[in-house]
Amino acid sequence: MRIALVALAFPLLALAEAATVVRATDLKQSPATDAATLAPLAENATVQTLERKGGWTRVKTEAGAEGWVRMLTLRYAGGSEAKSGDSGIVQLLNVARTGTSGTQVTTGVRGLDAELLANARPNAAELDKLQRYAAPEEAAAQFAARGPLQAQRVEYPKGAE
Amino acid sequence: MRRAALAALVALCAAAPAHAQFNFNLNRLLDVGKNVRQAAGGIDPKEEIELGRDMAARLLGAAPLVANEGLQRYVNNVGRWLASQTERPELPWRFGVLEAPQLNAFATPGGHIFITRGLVERMRNEAELAGVLAHEIAHVLKKHHLQAMQKTAQLELANTAITTFSRQDASAQKRDKLLSAGSELFARGLDKSDELEADRLGVVIAARAGYDAYGLPAVLQTLQAMNPADSGLALMFKTHPAPAERLDALEKMYPTLDAYAAQQQLAARFLGALGR
Repeated sequence: MRIALVALAFPLLALAEAATVVRATDLKQSPATDAATLAPLAENATVQTLERKGGWTRVKTEAGAEGWVRMLTLRYAGGSEAKSGDSGIVQLLNVARTGTSGTQVTTGVRGLDAELLANARPNAAELDKLQRYAAPEEAAAQFAARGPLQAQRVEYPKGAE
Repeated sequence: MRRAALAALVALCAAAPAHAQFNFNLNRLLDVGKNVRQAAGGIDPKEEIELGRDMAARLLGAAPLVANEGLQRYVNNVGRWLASQTERPELPWRFGVLEAPQLNAFATPGGHIFITRGLVERMRNEAELAGVLAHEIAHVLKKHHLQAMQKTAQLELANTAITTFSRQDASAQKRDKLLSAGSELFARGLDKSDELEADRLGVVIAARAGYDAYGLPAVLQTLQAMNPADSGLALMFKTHPAPAERLDALEKMYPTLDAYAAQQQLAARFLGALGR
């Protein structure tokens, strides 16, 4: 119930949402640096985002052209002052939760603000649970294999070690 | 660190009141100096784990685990697999989803990692979860919290050292100071450079584990797209650089990001674990 509510209120952000490009870039025919350039995009050009593939997002420009731009160059409108007010995620979740059952009226789950963190007392029972749920290394490896996930050798960036 | 401890010792010596008592006091002052130095440097892995466990217990006092054992075990599998790809696979890695609507994630020294329900529910697949867990794992690997706590505790100890001459007192104080520095840290946040480093290493760790390397950037973009005034983001935004700045900084990682962009996202397994 709660999750359905959230899904309703917050559809996947990537779909048909207004974004701007943070610097001048090229609109590409396919999601690759060596793909053909369809049109140049000026800094702060507005686009509608359609889908993401790897590090690329398919967009529609104001002129109506469709193509791919680097995902990292896109900034969404919600992150600016364009929208005002609280999207209300915290309130929504609280309302939804109390709505699911009359008896389980979330006592004290106000969430994690700075004051609560600074004054929290240790909870030994929850710490026991945390230890109990831990995954042994071999079990995690089997879980990964079912993905299937395959380990790769990847170096840390230079200067990070 | 060592130089700061020495400076504290010098300050103590300078503060010794009467010239006639100086020789007598010097030995005690040297002991105090040693204790201050211990608080600064010598924390072995066992102490690191115990300290992290105490901090984890406090975090769980602020928000309990989500009452969903399947979800908790799923997140532990993802996290443990990621940690196995790092230089500290032997730590007792523990992962937990906290019952909180806010969007945030935390690490404590020694391998205790937490993510809030609010953040998990905004994710689309396992690669995004892996990206965030890998960022937190990187904090543990680089001992970012431990170092920040030691710095704070050391300053406080140096301030109180003049009245604390016994070694035992100093040792008990050290633990208390470190713990309170830890709680404070969750509210205050790490240095920006630590966060950006954890982003870079997180991308690498997720790629090593076989995930789409763009998982973490995708979560950052989700956060960037939200209204910064949203009440669920207040603490996260107070304690981290702005998502837009973190996305800018990750452009340095294009070679790794693009080389491993086609790896697994595992959306179905992720949504299944969430009961969707």
